[in-house]
Amino acid sequence: MSDTPQISRRGFLRAAALVPAAGALAACATPAAPPAASSSSAPVATSAANPFGVDAKKPLEVWIFDGGFGQDYAKNIHQPLFKTKYPDVEIKHNATKEITKVLQPRFAGGNPPEVIDNSGANFIDFGALSQDGQLQDLTPLLDAPSWDDPNTKVRDTIDPSVIEIGTYDGKFSVLGYVNYIHGIWYSQKVFRDNGWQIPKTWDEFIALCETIKKSGKMAPFTYAGKFPQYLYEPLLTMAAKIGGNEVLVNIDNLEDGAWTTEAMKSAATAWAEVGAKYLMEGTTGLDHVQTQTAQNKYKVAMLPSGSWLENEQKTTTPPDFEYGMFPIPDVTGSDKMPYGTLHTQPGENFIVSAKSPHPQAGMEYLRGMLSKKAAGDFSALVRTLTVVKGATEGKDISPGVTSASKAVTDAGANTVYYRWFNWYGPLKDEAIAATGQLMSGGLTPDKYLERIQKKADEIKNDSSIKKYKR
Amino acid sequence: MTTMISWTAANSRKLARQERRRRLGPLGVLTHLALLLWTLLTVVPILWTFLASVKSEDEIFGDAWSMPAALRWDNFARAWEQAHIGQYMLNSVIVVSFSTFGTMLIGSMAAYVLARYPFRGNRAIYLLFVSGLAFPVYLALTPLFFVVQNMGNVPVVGPFIGLNTHAGLVLVYIAYSMPFTVFFLSAFFRTLPRAVGEAAMVDGASHTRVFFQIMLPMARPGIISITIFNILGQWNQYQLPLVLLQERDKWVLTQGIADISTAAGYDQDWSALFAALTLAILPMLVVYTVFQRQIQSGLTSGALK
Amino acid sequence: MIFNRYRRGLFITSFLAAPVILYLVYVISPYIQAFYIAMTDWRGVTATPRFIGLDNFERLLGDGTFWKAVSHNGALLLLLPLITIVIALFFAFLLNVGGPQGVTGIRGSKFYRVVFFFPQVLAVAVVAVLFQQVFRPDGSGMLNGPLMALGLPPIGFLSDPDVAFWSVLGVMVWQAVGFYVVLFSAGLASIPRDMFEAAQIDGAGRLSLFFRITLPLLWDTVQVAWVYLGILALDVFAIVWVMTDQHGGPDFSTTVMAAEIYRNAFQYFRFGYASALGVVMFFFTVGFAILSLRLSRRERIEY
Repeated sequence: MSDTPQISRRGFLRAAALVPAAGALAACATPAAPPAASSSSAPVATSAANPFGVDAKKPLEVWIFDGGFGQDYAKNIHQPLFKTKYPDVEIKHNATKEITKVLQPRFAGGNPPEVIDNSGANFIDFGALSQDGQLQDLTPLLDAPSWDDPNTKVRDTIDPSVIEIGTYDGKFSVLGYVNYIHGIWYSQKVFRDNGWQIPKTWDEFIALCETIKKSGKMAPFTYAGKFPQYLYEPLLTMAAKIGGNEVLVNIDNLEDGAWTTEAMKSAATAWAEVGAKYLMEGTTGLDHVQTQTAQNKYKVAMLPSGSWLENEQKTTTPPDFEYGMFPIPDVTGSDKMPYGTLHTQPGENFIVSAKSPHPQAGMEYLRGMLSKKAAGDFSALVRTLTVVKGATEGKDISPGVTSASKAVTDAGANTVYYRWFNWYGPLKDEAIAATGQLMSGGLTPDKYLERIQKKADEIKNDSSIKKYKR
Repeated sequence: MTTMISWTAANSRKLARQERRRRLGPLGVLTHLALLLWTLLTVVPILWTFLASVKSEDEIFGDAWSMPAALRWDNFARAWEQAHIGQYMLNSVIVVSFSTFGTMLIGSMAAYVLARYPFRGNRAIYLLFVSGLAFPVYLALTPLFFVVQNMGNVPVVGPFIGLNTHAGLVLVYIAYSMPFTVFFLSAFFRTLPRAVGEAAMVDGASHTRVFFQIMLPMARPGIISITIFNILGQWNQYQLPLVLLQERDKWVLTQGIADISTAAGYDQDWSALFAALTLAILPMLVVYTVFQRQIQSGLTSGALK
Repeated sequence: MIFNRYRRGLFITSFLAAPVILYLVYVISPYIQAFYIAMTDWRGVTATPRFIGLDNFERLLGDGTFWKAVSHNGALLLLLPLITIVIALFFAFLLNVGGPQGVTGIRGSKFYRVVFFFPQVLAVAVVAVLFQQVFRPDGSGMLNGPLMALGLPPIGFLSDPDVAFWSVLGVMVWQAVGFYVVLFSAGLASIPRDMFEAAQIDGAGRLSLFFRITLPLLWDTVQVAWVYLGILALDVFAIVWVMTDQHGGPDFSTTVMAAEIYRNAFQYFRFGYASALGVVMFFFTVGFAILSLRLSRRERIEY
């Protein structure tokens, strides 16, 4: 915590003025208490090189969700890059698997850290954060020059859906860093060895399940039974494919009857059949890692997941496993969206806390992350795609990522996403609970949808819960 | 478990006993069967955990009752170093030592005064303490968080007793142990004879001296049992540290274990989870077995006071 | 005399100051604040809470999940004491007067008592994680392994909503029994031996020995046990939160009041609503405490 020669002139003057006032003792005291008054301190001048006015004397605290991507990318790629520009800013790196548990009290206490990777099963409810004014408006980040090229705005270097999805209350405040691509994952080797074909229609999918089941070699299908959100994902994507994107838009907007449309019924019926006939034994009690490990051990053929899968499983995947991914097959002959429709969603959501001591540094940290170098190295390290355009150009990437990026190219503009689960926590928990029941036969497809619809209506009528529109 | 009977007793009693044994014989076997069954129910899950702690990842995912091919002690190294079980355990020991000591000190002071010194307001204070026995802590969680946080802003001592400090947690533990401690200890103090203390007062001893040198030693059995109660209760506390200690290096053992269970799902390191469980269980069982007589009698006499 | 009275007052004050202040600051004041927060729509911290009167209480009346939680607490309140006390009485009786001599303990009774008590010294969070593994749904689970080896279908101890609640109850009983065996044993030890011997000479069998002598003389202790276990059933949190899928699932089949309070406060950020749930829980618990004090003869809380 010693003073450095690079101390800014203004900061130095301020410190000098404080010494006689507060006494030498106070000046020497370690700044242990949460600096609640820091927002009142004089801002550091901004410049093209330092667009947000990072104060070299203030530390930067970063919390990474230590999940599928680990935390090394932050320590070894993003933070060193930030340090090249701000060698004096002390970066306090932290990681956890349960963001809510660890950081919620920090928000409640008014001393949240600057940068948070608010991801994983226990992310902090974005709606509540936004409603509370905890989210830093990141619009200045979009309009700042990019890290690589002073003549390009950050806005133009990233996938535009990031901005749409990251906008809360009209302000862009959540940066999805990774482009998650959802689909059904399998081993290309297994399919090749057994002569199994990628199903293009739902009938083919069911026939494939039947073939696999009869072969006795492995179970056809599984999902993370402990976390049924892994299954409502393909269900909703399928509904959007059948009934068009507005199925999901209506659900997000809490429209009346949005969950009980025909498209949703077809999708729920289709997956309930899989639940009844083709699941690996014990699926309902297993978590994502257990089911994914079972797949790596060739005990099950297919499971729904996202493009983080390959990295998450890197220690248990046999070298010749060759992950592959295929999109939701055609269900009816007249699906509103064509074959290849994908659910892609910016994820690994980074936020800057508006009430942290040093939000400027937080934004600058994100600007660094969006540089081509940071994003490219990230993709190579954790085998996934980022929202930064063209960052993987010329990089050597793994089979799963190759398969996923090909799917993205094939899908073109036919991509869908949904946001209700980030907006309405209670609705998410209800959908999770109900989906588990649907798959284990405890609920019929109709009852399943009615039940979630009831919860959606409850939330719609609850004046204490803030509503969002897309 | 045999139903062997000592045959060295006197002959006449032997006959009587034989007679009874004939009547109770088959039941005796059933008795032992029932006891044996519960013994197995108790011990087997714990032993199974110990066994799994030296298995490899594959063996853990394989047949539950297979023996490990090799003893993997490195699981313990990982649990100790990467999962910080040692650190968490140390934190628990530090917190519980101070909090139990503090609870007993000021709890017995309050209980003594309330039990032996009638004054206006005595009953009100007593009821205030005792009513806490029935309050669910969950109602207080959110405001408690802010109380502790505000304590962090108190001049001078603030940094030591705010959120994320062991001293802060110790104070909270002490406060939340008061209802139980005061309730039982004051009942205990009431049963002690008055004569000794009064005699000492006549000899010129101060109230304080009477308490520390005469009454406390006399109350030893009660003090011991409530101490054991508090140690166990505070050692096992999960909810309060979950809210009040956010920094990983400050965590206590219960938080650490619950976190490892979540983490195992991501890291795919189940063997380290079992090793960590073993490390959490074994010392408790050893300590308990050594002191089992005191613990059992202490706990039960406390509960019956 | 005046000096003595002054000394006495000073002594009382000095001994009570620390405990009372600590208790007021850390216990009483949060409870009082909670009652106010329950009447606001507070969702975080920084935004000022808005006073909304009894809206939260109106809302919770229609909250199916919360009432499901209440019903689980209710079931636990009934079953946990009942099952635990029956098992513990049974074993305490066997250990102390069930021996072949009829009036003494059986061989190894000390060993049994030590072993039965084991679970009691383990932290609830540790027990929860332990049973998560014991209950694994496939062949790697301690219980399902043997079942499947016998060709039986595995039981979804934690994944089947019809079973999960019983698993939770089972673990709670598992952990509690040992303590009450020891507690009842201590009670039995204080019953004079000759009462049993006299009864036996009268030709009383074990069963009538139990119902005619043991149970009536232990009744006080049983009541204490009932209150303890009742509070445990109302307060349960860690075992549910740590052990079950989806923290009280699957499909909310194991959730309890404390879990819903925690979920609403620290996952949905509905502090106001969570506090309202807490107030309801508060009245349930206090109600139970008052009721059991009334019903039992041990109302010596007053002095």
